[in-house]
Amino acid sequence: MTTAIAPTGPPAVSRFEYNLLRILRFLVGQMPADQAMNLVYAKLPAPPCLSRVCVRIAQDTLAKASVLHLAESGGWRRDRFLVDRRPTEGRIWERLPLELRTLAFGPSPLAFLMWLTAEKPTDTSNRWDAPGGLTAADELFFLMAYDELKAEPEVAQALVEKHYFRGNPLVRLAYAGDFAGAAPNFAGCFTGTRVAILECLQPVFAQRWIRSERAKGQIGEWKRMRRQGEVELDTLRAFLNAAQDARRPDLARFVLAANSVLLAPPELGLGFWTGGLQGQGPARLADRIETQRAALAFPRQLETLQSWERQARNVGYYEEDYAASQLWKADWELARGDTVAAKARALVERLDPLRTG
Amino acid sequence: MSRAYRITVKESSTRELKGSDEICTQLEVLEILPPEVMAELLKKELIQKGYTENPDGTLSREDGNTTVTVNPKTFEVSVKSQVGEEVTLESKRETFGYDDVGPGQQELRERLKKQLDDDIDKKAEHESERLQGQATAELEEKLCDLQPELSEVVNKVTREALKQKARQLGNIKELIEDEETGSLTIKIEV
Repeated sequence: MTTAIAPTGPPAVSRFEYNLLRILRFLVGQMPADQAMNLVYAKLPAPPCLSRVCVRIAQDTLAKASVLHLAESGGWRRDRFLVDRRPTEGRIWERLPLELRTLAFGPSPLAFLMWLTAEKPTDTSNRWDAPGGLTAADELFFLMAYDELKAEPEVAQALVEKHYFRGNPLVRLAYAGDFAGAAPNFAGCFTGTRVAILECLQPVFAQRWIRSERAKGQIGEWKRMRRQGEVELDTLRAFLNAAQDARRPDLARFVLAANSVLLAPPELGLGFWTGGLQGQGPARLADRIETQRAALAFPRQLETLQSWERQARNVGYYEEDYAASQLWKADWELARGDTVAAKARALVERLDPLRTG
Repeated sequence: MSRAYRITVKESSTRELKGSDEICTQLEVLEILPPEVMAELLKKELIQKGYTENPDGTLSREDGNTTVTVNPKTFEVSVKSQVGEEVTLESKRETFGYDDVGPGQQELRERLKKQLDDDIDKKAEHESERLQGQATAELEEKLCDLQPELSEVVNKVTREALKQKARQLGNIKELIEDEETGSLTIKIEV
């Protein structure tokens, strides 16, 4: 006697859970914004908890989408990064052991999704925020979420105040100019799974900065330019200091790569950054100069990167950091570091009213 | 019968208003000799240009409303322009009151006084902006004169440092110096 197995249909979830899962698919880049934004703006009464089926689907989506995102962003590339102070070549899964590539999500992504499904982010009295620290995987999820939600300026405005975006080093590194206040602590980015994430996201960060710098020429308000530039300067300085302390200059490669692209055109002038500023600007000359200097926050970082290159040149063959220093020298040469840094320096010097020599 | 009366209140205030602007930059002095020697050479050149030494080791020169300060150790230059003026600000307002209805004389006076205070604050703000503009204009003018002067100082310091360095390296056989172009050719025998 045989027992016939009844065909199982698609898993059943409530209306709220259905919306939540659709929003999740949108946030991880698997659904177009025009199909999802009406769900983000809609309000639905939240259930006390989610069903097992919904949680299982959400976990599955998060696990697959975040790994796919990392692989597509740069993990697939046969690249060279430092592993135990030695340059190691290969794709991310060839360079790093599994325990450094394992993504573990905390409760914050689901809690955020529940809030986003239940509330209209631009009009809500529920000011939910991630209560504690985020795991590396949580930080990646919130970066992916911000990537998608940033297109809606009102939503982005509501989100930048929240800890899981404001205190998230990945979001701050990709969208420094969107935030105000002190830069987050980047020291944690150079340990554990966060290293793998940073390695994968290098091309993404480079692209974000290229886009952000190209958009600066459209900024008309002097105050906005100064504020954005100062925040970018703080963020980049904090990140580069942390990278130096962790002896991982290779993880700051995106700063070099993006500057190399931005400063490539031969006739590039200050107008590329400040050409959109309207009117005479602030009354004080000091404020005008500071605003223009702030606009150049990104190319100014080449000074730090060049100091790393000079240090690398002085590392002897028998010293511990020799292999690491050779990698940075190779990166510097590949990006035509000397030419690009000279160009950046010349641009900054043009702002100096007492330029001598 | 209702009787109207006019209340006039005048207010004047004397204020010390200031406008200032400042830029800071760094002189590009080549490290030909040890920093303390370069600092000494720079100090000497600046003193010849009319700068005086301050107790904190910086050198400064006042020119009208503008002060130039140079730190010979760090090569930092600050140019500050400050304009101050004692300004008497006056304002006058009138209003009408009625002896049977509406607010009383005392209340009307107090309201007028508040409005006058606001008027005077606005005038003070306007005057401050004017002084600020004046300070910035003076600073910009000063920078135009100062830039070639400081370039000349840096050039002289560099030449003097090169001469000293050449003397340390060997015997100077030939030294051709052009004050106008700032060029210097030294031939040494090592």
